[in-house]
Amino acid sequence: MDTIRDLVTLFFFPGGLFVLALGMSYEWVDRKLMARVQNRVGPRWFQPFADIAKLLTKEEVIPLDGNGLLFLGLPIVALAGALTSALYVPVAGWHPAYSFQGDLIVALYLLSLLTLCTGLAGANTSDHFSLVGATRTLTQLFSYEAPFLLAMLGPAVMAHTWQINEIIADADGRWMLFLQPIGFIVALIGLLGKLEMSPFNAPEAETEIVAGALTEYSGRGLALFRLGRHVELVIGLTMVAAFYMGGVNGLPMFVLKTLILLLGLVGIQSLVARLRIDQTVGLWWRWGSLLVLAQWLVLVVWEGVQA
Amino acid sequence: MTWQQVVDDFKTWARVNSPWVVHFNTGSCNGCDIEILATLTPRYDLERFGVKLEGSPRHGDVLICTGPVTLQARDRLLRVYEQMPEPKFVIAVGSCAISGGVFQGCYNIIGHVDEVLPVDVYIPGCPPRPEAIIDGVVKLLGHLKDPAPQANIEEAN
Repeated sequence: MDTIRDLVTLFFFPGGLFVLALGMSYEWVDRKLMARVQNRVGPRWFQPFADIAKLLTKEEVIPLDGNGLLFLGLPIVALAGALTSALYVPVAGWHPAYSFQGDLIVALYLLSLLTLCTGLAGANTSDHFSLVGATRTLTQLFSYEAPFLLAMLGPAVMAHTWQINEIIADADGRWMLFLQPIGFIVALIGLLGKLEMSPFNAPEAETEIVAGALTEYSGRGLALFRLGRHVELVIGLTMVAAFYMGGVNGLPMFVLKTLILLLGLVGIQSLVARLRIDQTVGLWWRWGSLLVLAQWLVLVVWEGVQA
Repeated sequence: MTWQQVVDDFKTWARVNSPWVVHFNTGSCNGCDIEILATLTPRYDLERFGVKLEGSPRHGDVLICTGPVTLQARDRLLRVYEQMPEPKFVIAVGSCAISGGVFQGCYNIIGHVDEVLPVDVYIPGCPPRPEAIIDGVVKLLGHLKDPAPQANIEEAN
């Protein structure tokens, strides 16, 4: 019975197909909301599904320069990383499928695997745009990753555990958003950086460097990277909602809270123009990390006072 | 209905609903390019049909060419076309892309786009209005759905 349960968990719910479908739906919500903010009608509901299906059926051009095996393998690793992290977070308000002490760190780094693979994929060709995109992707990774991680660890410190379901259980419906407002803002904006959304889309700035690290990708590889990005959107939203907005109990709560968060993200995306890569790095290291460290100082002192 | 047919229908459905375009100026006076950009603005909102402007030829399905092909642009045009993955389609926008237009017979012109690439749809006009460009794209998508070519000719007559 356990084997069947594991297989269902991995391939259908909550991992695998369910997360893929959820990711594409959230991508549609994101694009639709963006369109409405810009006074457009926006894409139809099946748009991300059609995009992915079309890309999967297209020819895949493998560049002669660079390692062909890496070129084909990196998208798979990226998507696998994103899908694996779905097993440790409460997707759809369900309990995390698996959990162990420290799974918070594992889930966060599995999400970073996508960015890392994108960077490597860009560096694996001799195309100039890919190389510039890869450099920017990795530079941005090093700038937002530390503040984002610290922001996500804030609730963990309060709960005295690094296990996702225990953190949520310990918060017990308390909205950390009000106890740790700085952490929430850094986590939310860090999510924008992680997903390379505006204003942090310098790595794929289409007006400057064509499509960034994924310039050389066509067909299947591009589809897998895009799917990974969609899955990451859902998981990031789930984690922030679960940690800072009083947990996600049940499907209606999950949908409501993640959609409210997504609305916030769309608002920031449509209000702010693209930052240069040096401005991105400056913002994170001058403001993001300092603010979140100040938050940590308060947290540690508070914990000391309580003990 | 066989299994193969179902898969083919699904592929066609995906292709028709997600045409990503690459825009290339083969020597146009920029009039058609401005109209293409106007077509992509929120007023006409082509994202409704899944149309997206892509920077990289590797991501594109439809190559939109404007203007007569100049001697200099020819190699670049061919290269961009070769870089696009199959299946790919070409739309010639404007009188110059169709026949050479006012540039016909110039010393630095090869001619119309058809002399260099296989063109699927011609959109006449100098420059064509955004509505005409949208109509051209819709014709192309209709052609993808039903590849019988005679339908449009009868309609035109």
